[in-house]
Amino acid sequence: MTTTSTSDEALMAAVRADDLDQLVPLFERYHGPLFNYLTRLTNDRETSEDLTQTVFERILKYRSSYQPTQPFKAWVYQMARNVHADYWQRREKLRAADVDVEEVERTGGLRGAAVSQMRVSTCADDLHEALAMLPAPQREILVLNRFQGFGYEEIGQLLGCTAEAARVKAHRALQALRKIYFAT
Amino acid sequence: MKTPELSAYHELEALLPAYVEHCLPAAEADRVAAHLPTCPACQLQVTQLRALTNDLDAALPEVPRTALRANFMAMLEEQKALLPTAVPSAPAPAQPEAKVVSMWPTAVANNWMRIAASIMLIAAGVFLGRQLPWGGRSTDGVATTSEADKNTPYALAQALTGDNGRTVSASDRIRLVTNSPKESEPGDPTVQVLLNTLNFDPNPNVRLAACEALYRLRDDPRVREGLANSLPIQTDPNVQIALIDMVVSMRVRRAVPQLERLAKRPDALPVVRAQAEAGIGKLI
Repeated sequence: MTTTSTSDEALMAAVRADDLDQLVPLFERYHGPLFNYLTRLTNDRETSEDLTQTVFERILKYRSSYQPTQPFKAWVYQMARNVHADYWQRREKLRAADVDVEEVERTGGLRGAAVSQMRVSTCADDLHEALAMLPAPQREILVLNRFQGFGYEEIGQLLGCTAEAARVKAHRALQALRKIYFAT
Repeated sequence: MKTPELSAYHELEALLPAYVEHCLPAAEADRVAAHLPTCPACQLQVTQLRALTNDLDAALPEVPRTALRANFMAMLEEQKALLPTAVPSAPAPAQPEAKVVSMWPTAVANNWMRIAASIMLIAAGVFLGRQLPWGGRSTDGVATTSEADKNTPYALAQALTGDNGRTVSASDRIRLVTNSPKESEPGDPTVQVLLNTLNFDPNPNVRLAACEALYRLRDDPRVREGLANSLPIQTDPNVQIALIDMVVSMRVRRAVPQLERLAKRPDALPVVRAQAEAGIGKLI
């Protein structure tokens, strides 16, 4: 395929120059990993599909801010982290707002979310349940390292710490996961 | 109060993940290796960390529904429509050589339409295949071997693979496969010959014909097994879709793992992945 040989950065540079079609190969390369990343963070497939879509919307919206010298992967994952953080804040706000929980439950708002949560955990194995029980920062670092193939250098860049600190954090997260996973 | 053993345990415990990952400096790795035989707690941790690492590595990725692609394409079309009409044709900083054109207008992006189109294509091929005159067996000349009847599995295999020294054209191979026996005895080698053809014939149309011929012999248990095993081998979308349809209609549950893998194969066409996903839904 002709598109596979073009680098992410060259494609994104073209998108930046308003050749929006070049986003299609980037979508093909990244929508699966991004969806995977967001699903592991939210434990909710439907939400993650929406969030993945939002990431690509933001890529288009903020395309002029992309610097062709910066690695596209780091840029897009930073965007995905922000999209997830925004979603988290919205959820917290909703929770803090004066919402009659019983009323929402009766009308199905929360029930729908509960069902979609359940679908993940029933389909997924014990490992994913254990992952879901980790504190969010530890879960994220393991997801990046183990599922997204990020090296400690890349994780350090994304999280704003050194590669060595990222490695220590990842090892602590692995130990924490081990304790949950093998707890009897 | 901490004993020296206990403090060694705590100190080394922090190194165990790195030890399991083989990324400790040699001196520290040696210290852990020397400590392990004396400490059952650390041994257990290492065993658990290895098992956990293996499970993490083996975890299958979550795959989005195909609706995500359709939504993305719709969004892209919307954004393109918002661009100023005169799209600057000035070259980008690093102009990619590819001009990607959406294969499906998103307004009508409908997965079912695409699946239906593929099925229609295959059905048309099968229909045409059946309509073409296959007659003239005695004058065929291709399958005729001097020493054996052409319908025997041995002769069939020989003719299909060109083992008898003759090059057999794809259309002749299709003819041979189509004329293969319509029923099989238990253990009939015809099934194996057809499975080999399905897996290794270079021509996708011959492989499709082998699919058809195998479907006729579906009562043979080797057919179910062989079709499931063939799923990961096939790369042609038509053969992939034909195989998916067959394993679904024959309710070959053991094909589910292969379908799952196919649904995630990045090199498979979206329509094939969608079909595999739909097939999994029907089988489980």
